[in-house]
Amino acid sequence: MKQLRKWSRILHRDIGYFFIGTTIVYGLSGIALNHMSDWNPNYSVKVTHFTTSINLEKTASIKNNILLLLDEVDHRNNYKKHYYPNADNIKIFLKGGSSIMVNVNNGNGIAEYLKRRPVFYEVNFLHYNPNRIWTWFSDAFSASLILFAVTSFFMVKGKKGIIGRGGVYTLLGIIIPILFLIYFL
Amino acid sequence: MKKVISIILIAVLFIACKKESKKADDMEKQTEIAIETPFLAMAEFDTKAGDYVNKEVKIQGIVDHVCKHSGKKLLVVTDDGSVHITSDTRFEDSLTGSEIVLTGIVLEERIDEAYCLKMEEDNIKSHSEGASSQEQFEKKKKHIQQYRDQMKEENKDYLSNYSLQYVSHIEVE
Repeated sequence: MKQLRKWSRILHRDIGYFFIGTTIVYGLSGIALNHMSDWNPNYSVKVTHFTTSINLEKTASIKNNILLLLDEVDHRNNYKKHYYPNADNIKIFLKGGSSIMVNVNNGNGIAEYLKRRPVFYEVNFLHYNPNRIWTWFSDAFSASLILFAVTSFFMVKGKKGIIGRGGVYTLLGIIIPILFLIYFL
Repeated sequence: MKKVISIILIAVLFIACKKESKKADDMEKQTEIAIETPFLAMAEFDTKAGDYVNKEVKIQGIVDHVCKHSGKKLLVVTDDGSVHITSDTRFEDSLTGSEIVLTGIVLEERIDEAYCLKMEEDNIKSHSEGASSQEQFEKKKKHIQQYRDQMKEENKDYLSNYSLQYVSHIEVE
């Protein structure tokens, strides 16, 4: 038992240190992605309204007219593509995911500028398993979480350990998800 | 030493030949696919997709939207129409606004009275739980009625919604 306790502490501590960075990555992205319906976790969105007198109807000079509009509201170099979702509107796509929608009849337009959220964009990118190597690494992290749970049983002895206060916390942590399953599944 | 050089030369020649024949095979396959995979214009997608259910087709359009929740859905558009794409893997956000030629398998979703009843039930449930506003509730209700009216108008038991299961894509300038 003494050896088991000793090794549980060593593994819990050292693997814990190793995965501090990964824990923060998944902790931050977990919160960010949990609230996806309330915000865009990857981009901040700035919306601006404008009016233009430039003719944006489907004519031979439309590409040039779009570039003139972009000179006014953004930069012509950011132009990517455009299309007409219906007879009244044109949608212009810009580099970086931003877009502009203009009513071709009255010239009223809305520009939606996207800007990457620093830190969140990067941690969310990792959270979504960008490639096979990261899948292996995150599998190792997940396995280590199970190891942390198992080693925590043996790390502390006495009334603060698993047969005392630690046991109560453990039970609570198991009962809460079970209650959720009973109520919501 | 001569023996070693000869073996290396033979090995290099063998690998080169193998690569060459692989290239030829790949090209043959690509040509085959290019010939076999029909191209559907966006304007005719809804009317012609029914002929290709569970088969591969190609479409060309601009990526209007990458689903921000799952990242596994795309809306490809042109002036003439739009097609929803679903995928098992995530798409890059940067694909938004790009013009692509996409290969996908045609999927059919049938909307019938049972589907409408289920939609109705879900709509009432989510509204009563406060998950949707009065406006959203009314909008959905109207949408369901539109389905029913269309079925009646076309004298059909169901309506078909077509989408594509993503296979591959290439970006075009």
